[in-house]
Amino acid sequence: MRVAVVGFGQTPFKTKRKDKTHPEIVFEAINSALEHAGLELKDIEAVVYGCMDPFDGIYCPERWDSTACGLEKPIMKISTGGTTGMTTALAAHEHVASGLFDLVMAVCVQRVGECVDAQPVLNTAVDPIYERHSGLGAIHIAAFQATAYMAKYGATEEDLAWVSVKDHKNALKNPYAHIKMDVGVDDVLNSKVVCSPLKLLECCPRSDGAAAVIFASEDLAKKIRDNPAWVVAETTISDSYYLGDRLSFAEWDSLAIAGRRLFRDAGIENPAKDIDVAELYSAFTIQEILELEALGFAEKGRGKDFAREGVTFIDGDMPTNPSGGVLCTNPIGATGLVRFGEAALQVMGEAANQVDGAEVALSHAWGGTLQFHTLAVLSSNKKLG
Amino acid sequence: MEIKEFEVWWKIPFKHSAGIHATKFFEGLKDRKILGVRCEKCGRVLVPPRAFCERCHVETNEWVEVKDEGVVETLTVTYMKFTGLPDPPYAVGVVKLDGADTGMLCFLGGVDLSDWRKVHETFKPGTRVRAVWKEEREGKITDILYFEPSK
Amino acid sequence: MKIGIVGVGFSEFGIHREPFYNVAFTAAKRALEDAGIDRGEVDSFILGGYDNLGVGRTISNMYAAPAAGAYLRHEIRVSDDALFALPLALMRLKSRSDVTMLLAFGHSSETPVELVELQSLDPFFHRPLNLTLPAFFAMQSYAYRERYNVEEEKLAEVVVRMRDNGSENPLAFLKDKVKVEDVMNSEFVSYPLRKLEMAEWCDGCVALILAEETIARRISDNIVWVDGVGWSVENYYFDREFHKLPFVTKSAEMAFRMARKDRKGVEALEICDLTADHHCMILEALGFAEEGRGWEYNGDVNSSGGALCTNAYGSTGAFLLANLAMRIRKGEVSCGLVQSMSGYAQRSCTAILEG
Repeated sequence: MRVAVVGFGQTPFKTKRKDKTHPEIVFEAINSALEHAGLELKDIEAVVYGCMDPFDGIYCPERWDSTACGLEKPIMKISTGGTTGMTTALAAHEHVASGLFDLVMAVCVQRVGECVDAQPVLNTAVDPIYERHSGLGAIHIAAFQATAYMAKYGATEEDLAWVSVKDHKNALKNPYAHIKMDVGVDDVLNSKVVCSPLKLLECCPRSDGAAAVIFASEDLAKKIRDNPAWVVAETTISDSYYLGDRLSFAEWDSLAIAGRRLFRDAGIENPAKDIDVAELYSAFTIQEILELEALGFAEKGRGKDFAREGVTFIDGDMPTNPSGGVLCTNPIGATGLVRFGEAALQVMGEAANQVDGAEVALSHAWGGTLQFHTLAVLSSNKKLG
Repeated sequence: MEIKEFEVWWKIPFKHSAGIHATKFFEGLKDRKILGVRCEKCGRVLVPPRAFCERCHVETNEWVEVKDEGVVETLTVTYMKFTGLPDPPYAVGVVKLDGADTGMLCFLGGVDLSDWRKVHETFKPGTRVRAVWKEEREGKITDILYFEPSK
Repeated sequence: MKIGIVGVGFSEFGIHREPFYNVAFTAAKRALEDAGIDRGEVDSFILGGYDNLGVGRTISNMYAAPAAGAYLRHEIRVSDDALFALPLALMRLKSRSDVTMLLAFGHSSETPVELVELQSLDPFFHRPLNLTLPAFFAMQSYAYRERYNVEEEKLAEVVVRMRDNGSENPLAFLKDKVKVEDVMNSEFVSYPLRKLEMAEWCDGCVALILAEETIARRISDNIVWVDGVGWSVENYYFDREFHKLPFVTKSAEMAFRMARKDRKGVEALEICDLTADHHCMILEALGFAEEGRGWEYNGDVNSSGGALCTNAYGSTGAFLLANLAMRIRKGEVSCGLVQSMSGYAQRSCTAILEG
């Protein structure tokens, strides 16, 4: 059963949306998606809701937010860490692909700005028995990746800084992006070291906002719009928990395995050639480099050169994160859905920072202690796959 | 009209049961022993020890003592203070101990942490390190103060 | 295309000294053994259970996924009582899975559950009043008893019946019988609810192996079909009636519609009676008893002992589901309905099973 994205809405992401409460932010995103699709809430048959509870200081926020989703509809809550945004999309996609529903909305919200400091919250994800004492948060884990990659492939701090330059430049064109700052390589290199070797401008912000994506079954999708974004393939993978189990921090092999499965399902033989644009979950500069290599867009050790050489800029051969990506906007539990929605906009031809002629897009999210990945391929041409 | 903000704290106590495997590991620390388990199917020695091997999906009950020295896989030095987390600077890393097939998260220390480039040079991936133990051990993960470069 | 249960595994339900993921491992292993397959034959893992405060670990599925056997496989988690994961498992099997494991993890003993549930209330209007779950359930009980003039003794008799059932179920947590006097003399938790009128928290995990029909028939000769599922939600704000559970009715209607069945075909019920009053209200909402008379229902309900005997925060619904499935497998009944609830009696999921 073919399923397509027929609407995408998001709220302008800020450090803190003081003007709205939790369900009110969700309401805003839902209305934005409905407007994009030209639909009303009563048309939606089911809702899949995603959020990482602790950041927002509300336990099981779906209970409160159900008031914004259309009471009495079947509403399902998904929560899988950083991949939440995309697993919510995946679950909503399956609601329709199963044949049980024709029109389903995925909605994700995260108000990281409500939480005074995100790292201690992330620290609660780390095993209290063996590891929590280390004060580990997300930045440390990315720093581990950076240290290992730089030692193995000789990448320089400057190589990594170029990823930040690219993402910030792209974000300037995205009306919804959180951080809008034109930064140069020196700005990045001179910013304060947070967890070595990563510096402040190489790290994602804490963002507050919501996003919603509407999925429709094939016939309905064609009636709703003439440029739906077809979901060609999706996959998710789960590795073991302990950080020390990773074979190498300089490679992301679990992502490579997921990528192989995704491309096989999508009928893509040469990702570098066949994918026109990718929205990757790169919360820290180093992660994009690892993701490019894991997904086969760059050979091992070459990912470090792509930003510097312009390959991943909007007019390069392999544009990534034209929306500005996670480095400029990170409402953690919703981020995956924003990636997915932005990828959909690209193949619809409606993105604010549009890649010329994009027909096939890839969307990615990762979560846990480098443990989970969720991937999807969207296409404007339903013949693909 | 100024929008009100409510400051709220979550103060929720938990008592986490470590289970048999972790308890045995912590008892081992009292004797300056680092214990792992070997999976009977894949043969990997897993540190920290756990009740089952994820790869083979079988229970792991064969105990193995690994050395308290090994090789650095990666590290980072933290310079920013985060609410409720240790005061900076502190260095954490993943160390693969001799005899283990998986790395273990731990503190790195015994050196001046103010210049991260120096620390990264001292502890670069591949460097051999060994545990510095607390004098009075309590059967907690902090019985190992940190790992320092092996001389 | 039918979807059926081909394997079931229970951990013990009690107070565990092992972390929840080790308990989950036991349930997963048993389910695989029961189905006679390896974890490699399972292509999708749908986890059900609470996150962060529920088990004291944020992203709790990081620990539960490897326990289920999801190493380098597809895994997703429904963050709610695990019965709510069943619809997703069904949908995944209909769209792209051959064999799916549903793993339910529930762990209460490490957690101050009432304090945790309190954090689900908005911090502006409701949380500052410290309206805990027992207090809210008590408000419902009070409304129910007043509205329909139900004597406490009748509700005590419900508890006695449920505890009798629990005493005959080796899988249940509470296996001691109680007498009406025991119930009516037990201390007040929040007026009018007494301790023995409420479910007690425990730990425990359940795993089920489900498969699409063609493959199911290769795995098992004794398949329990999932004919229909339904789920619905009530208003979060107290703009609702306290003595009724219309969202339970809606979830059941959706399940009946999908199953193309009606009440008459259902021989046995497993319902999430977190209190004796809920036992009555749910029966009434499901249409098996008249309004206000759920306490006199003498049909086949909660032969497992219900939630009143086994309530592991997160896996209660799956426990009820698995118990019903086992009965159908043994041929005791051929069609049953299972219902679960979460939140401040706000969300409900219902499933209809058939042999």
